[in-house]
Amino acid sequence: MPFDESSVENAIAEAEQFIKDRKITALPIDPVRIAKDLEIEVVAKPASSKGVSGMLLRYGDDYAIAYATHIDSDGFQRFSIAHELGHYLLPGHIDHLLPAGKNIHESRGGFVSTDPYELSADYFAAGLLMPNPLFSQAMWNSGEGLAAVESLAGLCRTSLTATAIRYVQCIHTVVAMVMSAGTRIDYCFMSDALKEVPGLTWIRKGDALVKTTATYRFNQNEQRVIQADRTEAASTIQDWFGGRRNLEMTEEVVGLGRYGKTLTILCLVGDPEEEDDDNDENVEESWTPRFRR
Amino acid sequence: MTKSRPSEVFPERLREAREKIRKLSQEALANRAGLQASAISHFESGTRKPSFDNLRRLADALEVSTDYLLGRIDEISGAATSDQLNRDYDRMSQEDRDLADEIFGILKKRSRQRTSER
Repeated sequence: MPFDESSVENAIAEAEQFIKDRKITALPIDPVRIAKDLEIEVVAKPASSKGVSGMLLRYGDDYAIAYATHIDSDGFQRFSIAHELGHYLLPGHIDHLLPAGKNIHESRGGFVSTDPYELSADYFAAGLLMPNPLFSQAMWNSGEGLAAVESLAGLCRTSLTATAIRYVQCIHTVVAMVMSAGTRIDYCFMSDALKEVPGLTWIRKGDALVKTTATYRFNQNEQRVIQADRTEAASTIQDWFGGRRNLEMTEEVVGLGRYGKTLTILCLVGDPEEEDDDNDENVEESWTPRFRR
Repeated sequence: MTKSRPSEVFPERLREAREKIRKLSQEALANRAGLQASAISHFESGTRKPSFDNLRRLADALEVSTDYLLGRIDEISGAATSDQLNRDYDRMSQEDRDLADEIFGILKKRSRQRTSER
């Protein structure tokens, strides 16, 4: 039976329902406490040990989660535990974990896997650590753009990367997060409002960064990435996504240290409908209604 | 067992354990396991796949082992699990394998302790 493609959305919903059922009403969520409540042993791998980011192990009716600590990031470690909880709590993952008599499952990535079970466990982890309505409520008091992502990451004890992805998923305005390294884009998440802007070209993995962007210039100096330096500049939606409108965006850039990648948060400046006033009427008619949902 | 996927074996094992071994209604089992009665119906018809947590709750409520519900053993109680481990080491580092062995040791000890307490 093919795996349900809607499982990513279902995974977030399952995580949020789990939080609701347990009557957890405050952030941050404690995945270790949840695991212990479920009678799952949680074991930290030695910091000297690289290899897999997490493992779910079963012996008969007893379970354990081992998580990597070689990456000195509270957010990364908590996400790894929450990811394994996803494998434990999501329907159907028994076939993934035990396809041929396995009793151990190992995980390596985060949000970049193409395996639908791994991807759904990632989204479960995001939903568990940043559940709605708690996350959306927190967004109201967190400002905008990179400042909001950093504030929410502190509140949820999640990595900047995972928080930025969740922020873009939940926000109702025109926002994108872009992960890049060197001259290339690793991946990009767009808010629903951004996806509805007509005529845009969606960024693909491996696309080249446009040389006029602040992100491109920032990435030319590897030290700035490693030292977690930051910059910001004015950009336009065309710089990143093409299209017919030259709408202004803020481009906030931060290096992610030893991870070697750069996070960029793009936010539309002002109200897109006001920008439309300067454009021709026919195009305005095809654009404006989509932002009035 | 001829069926290989755990979720294919599970529906008939669940029904067998509930009806023939424990003689429980779907509702009674749901109450014992802390699940909704409709969930039991979906599990037995195969329209919904269980999670590991579901498996564990059902095994506990039915007083059978998870391995029995997965079709890995034919005896209802779980002492035989020590022979069932068949781990896939292919992609793991030696360090991870050693750690997994250590954790399996802890879980094994706990499993035996629980079995002896029953």
